[in-house]
Amino acid sequence: MKGKSDRVKRRLLKQAFADNLETIRGLPPRAIRPGPRTFRLWIRRSPLVLLILTLAGTTYLASNPTAAHDTIAPAKIVITRAARPLPGAPATIDPTPVSAAALQLSVHRVIIDAGHGGTDPGTTTLLQLSEKEVTLDIASRLGKILQKNGFEVVSTRKDDRLVPLRERARIANDSDGDIFVSIHVNSIVKHTDSHGIETYFLGATSDPSLNKLAADENRVSGYSVADLRKLLDRLYADARRGESQRLAGAVQQQLVGNLRNFDAGLENWGVKRAPFVVLVATDMPAILAEIGCMSNDNEVAMLRRAEYRQHIAEALFQGIHAYASSADSQQKKGT
Amino acid sequence: MAEILHVGIDLGTSRSAISGSNGERFVVDSYVGWPADMVAKKVLKRAVLIGHDAVSNRTMLDLHRPLERGLLKEGSEKDVEAVRELLKHLLGLVGVSNGGKVAASDVRAVVGVPAAALRTNKQYLRNSMKGIVDSLLIVSEPFAVAYGLDALLHTMIIDIGAGTSDFCVMRGRYPTEEDQRTLTVAGDSIDAQLLKLVEERYPEANVTIFMVREWKEKHSFVGKAPEKIVVTAPIKGVPTELDITKEMKAACESLLSPVIETMLDLLARVEPEFQERVRNNIILSGGGGLIRSLPQALEDALKQVGGGAVRCMQDPVFVGSDGGLALALDAPDGDWEKLS
Repeated sequence: MKGKSDRVKRRLLKQAFADNLETIRGLPPRAIRPGPRTFRLWIRRSPLVLLILTLAGTTYLASNPTAAHDTIAPAKIVITRAARPLPGAPATIDPTPVSAAALQLSVHRVIIDAGHGGTDPGTTTLLQLSEKEVTLDIASRLGKILQKNGFEVVSTRKDDRLVPLRERARIANDSDGDIFVSIHVNSIVKHTDSHGIETYFLGATSDPSLNKLAADENRVSGYSVADLRKLLDRLYADARRGESQRLAGAVQQQLVGNLRNFDAGLENWGVKRAPFVVLVATDMPAILAEIGCMSNDNEVAMLRRAEYRQHIAEALFQGIHAYASSADSQQKKGT
Repeated sequence: MAEILHVGIDLGTSRSAISGSNGERFVVDSYVGWPADMVAKKVLKRAVLIGHDAVSNRTMLDLHRPLERGLLKEGSEKDVEAVRELLKHLLGLVGVSNGGKVAASDVRAVVGVPAAALRTNKQYLRNSMKGIVDSLLIVSEPFAVAYGLDALLHTMIIDIGAGTSDFCVMRGRYPTEEDQRTLTVAGDSIDAQLLKLVEERYPEANVTIFMVREWKEKHSFVGKAPEKIVVTAPIKGVPTELDITKEMKAACESLLSPVIETMLDLLARVEPEFQERVRNNIILSGGGGLIRSLPQALEDALKQVGGGAVRCMQDPVFVGSDGGLALALDAPDGDWEKLS
């Protein structure tokens, strides 16, 4: 019996020392360490695989002059790519011609997250407009634009139902998405005169107002306190943060730049960091865009118009495209 | 040949304990203070005061309680300095001189931290201990307790300290996030609750957090009041007796719901065939173990899942540091060298 106890102790000590050595080396805890999925993702993005794909694409293009023509003809932005099968789905060969440029794209599958839903309406107004309706509508419009331009789209919700944040993160991670874009609408009751746009990426903040905003948006998270502690560990040593920040910057720039054409008073509230649960729990670069401010009556009137919501969706697309293009050019440079 | 000193340290928000392989054991209040001005320096005749000494002279000090929820406070240089002073003081008590290693040429320390401490917190602690010890192993506090008690299989440790309440189910393996929980409802939250309740009932009484902490340590209980709790506090400068029985009960019982909920949740995650063994092997440690009738209250709650047994450590103050020492002594030299 004593022998068994000693064996257990030896094993525990070995594990304790291993855990400490991992901490010293800056590795995240085993429970959240990237698993085979991330490994596959890395492999997928490795230069070697890109080289093989490029060669395959070139061979295909050489044998299909029509496809080659397609890649240089359009003046408008058209992004096509080799479709990846969803996890669990049988692999199929995409019959769509594939451009050489598209083969090097790093952003293929976009996860669109329409904020709130079901019994969680988000921000509501006296004019009978709720955040959940606006976000769902814009998400749907954005999805269509992305698909039209060759991206794959996975939506965390397609109708008016409550999806806990934990479930949203699970959908995103299981779908093997490349980027995650969460759409929300702000409400700042103390400043009803002003309205603006802000885009968040993952990070800790000392600003109490941002923490409150994050707390509001995190309300229906489905995570226990212990889970959150574990997730928050990722705030500090997460390599996705730089990519998320670049994505947030690109989206914010396009939103403000494009929407000011329709609303000159729109303020640029910038790119900020905050600990939103969906940003922490997702495995890919992730942002949360507050595409407007429902505490401002003028903006509510604008948001009620389908045309304006379409402009927002288009601006979001432009931001995603700008990020995808810059990610590709960085990849080409080998950075 | 280098003389090795092994130590186990329970770095607590309220109290810190150290157990040395030379047989020395000490506990100090986790307070560090520096004389607030030249007058205080002249009166106190010391550059830094630690523990009870610091609390007693707090009016003359820039007083720091450098640990918050069992972890180093980040962002405050003074608090980092305070925790280094506290650690040096603890090591000095067991025979290692301040700032150096005179009595032993190789100091190997095991420090317990809250179960849910983040890796960054651990790294921060590691950095702050540089130059104070030669090798450092950081483990979760309830794991250290379990190791020290040889309770490594089918056991649940509930370690209720000042800053955190830590839970850990031991399954014969190094506990992972799934096996552990940390609540920030602990001794400090009882103090805050008690202070609020006493101030509400006796608005004219002059009561401080230090006073209620002392009252709690003497009189805490849950369930039926074992006696009438009467304390003394000044009202308009006149020492006055205050009956705080109801307030003490309410403050201490504020711990019950979250602790019971977490205990039952962790139990539910144990493999069904082992649940009964774990239910009958629950160990209560830390200062919370001194709350009268707490084990019985937890056992009452266990009746809804088939019953169980909760035992309280006789020596809850040193159970963590003793466990750390046991770990330190059992660890092979080769492993220590990797961490040095």
